[in-house]
Amino acid sequence: MANGSNTFITIVRRDLLIAFRNRYELVNPLMFFIMVIVLFPLAIGSDKAMLQPLTAAMIWVTALLASTLSLETIFRSDFEDGSIEQFTLANYPLVALVMAKILAHWLITGLPLIIVALLVGVFLSLSNAALICLLLTLVLGTPILSLIGAIGVALTIGLRGGMLLSLLILPLYMPVLIFAMLAMNNASDGLSIAAELYFLGGILVLALTLAPIATAAALRIRLS
Amino acid sequence: MATIEVNQLACSRRDNILFEGVSFKVTDRELLQIDGINGSGKSTMLRIIAGLTEPNEGQVLWDEQPILECRYQYQQLMTYLGHTNGVKEALSVAENLDVIHALSGHEQPLDHDAVLKQIGLPGMHDVKLGKMSAGQKRRMGLSRLLINQSPLWLLDEPFTSLDVDGKSIIEGLIVQHCQQGGIVIFATHQEMDIEGHTVRHIHLGKANG
Repeated sequence: MANGSNTFITIVRRDLLIAFRNRYELVNPLMFFIMVIVLFPLAIGSDKAMLQPLTAAMIWVTALLASTLSLETIFRSDFEDGSIEQFTLANYPLVALVMAKILAHWLITGLPLIIVALLVGVFLSLSNAALICLLLTLVLGTPILSLIGAIGVALTIGLRGGMLLSLLILPLYMPVLIFAMLAMNNASDGLSIAAELYFLGGILVLALTLAPIATAAALRIRLS
Repeated sequence: MATIEVNQLACSRRDNILFEGVSFKVTDRELLQIDGINGSGKSTMLRIIAGLTEPNEGQVLWDEQPILECRYQYQQLMTYLGHTNGVKEALSVAENLDVIHALSGHEQPLDHDAVLKQIGLPGMHDVKLGKMSAGQKRRMGLSRLLINQSPLWLLDEPFTSLDVDGKSIIEGLIVQHCQQGGIVIFATHQEMDIEGHTVRHIHLGKANG
């Protein structure tokens, strides 16, 4: 199909436009992230020696929770207004449409989170090596969160009970958190972080190949 | 000649049999109305024919091929419109049309003016759907029929929220589509004013299946 890439771009553009017109949905997770990060030094105290070993963990755990907050928006409104129904019947592979939606979701939620997390890292005086490591782990890690989250949302969309989604996906988020934290610890000790990055990269490739297929299948089941 | 055939279809919801042993065959130029009281399974029947829901028993055949085995080819030939319109309130009329066009997979560029004129919303390109009435949104949903240009139309309550004018536009489109060799299967409670074409009826109900 000659206009195949056009369809993909149209869907990404559609989701970005909708997000920019409902800005509060975009800003909410970021506000949550910033507020939690600001509260930590207030609670622990501004002693640099105490705070510094915790900074990386604080940023990553909060980023992970903030991204679960915004997950539902990926399919909820499309499910309610029948767009998903038309997506599954479209003259274009559903897996590719799902991929476009996940990409748009990452651009809306993951990318701003990376930028804000880096700024927070600077304010909390992370070393240069730790900042670079934070950037790399977030760049590899946040797309995994969006990809795995999409499966969970597709499975639970339209069901009452918000905890179900968290219960489903938080265990799947654990490897990302563990490898990212190992990398951060190594970076602050001045050790190599290559192994952890390879693991995160591997998980990303795995999620990139399998998650859209699983999400598309889950959406078909939810509609039937 | 295109045919859509429903073969010994049965569907139940939570121990409650909606219908069973339903069979019929529709060929091109035919207009079929599915009748039945509320909850008799009209929407479910249309969803099964669209391939959205799998029946408990039986199958749907397009040109003698089960639709679930040729899903992708079948979807190119079929447009389904459910209770929801599948349009976004945050987007403008033109942006919504572009999305519908992208999903239709057609390569030739879309003539917005022509489509908007046909559904009776001329010159409304830049209006956000959130600012439009339910009937106008329904018209936007129905614009799929014009953009997809598929031979088989499956319409679930197409006249919901439409005014007299909108209803007659859609009735005109349905008749025209059948006369040009298309197939329309629809479910509605409203009085239809179809001129120049015979309407076949299928009645769904627990008593006579």
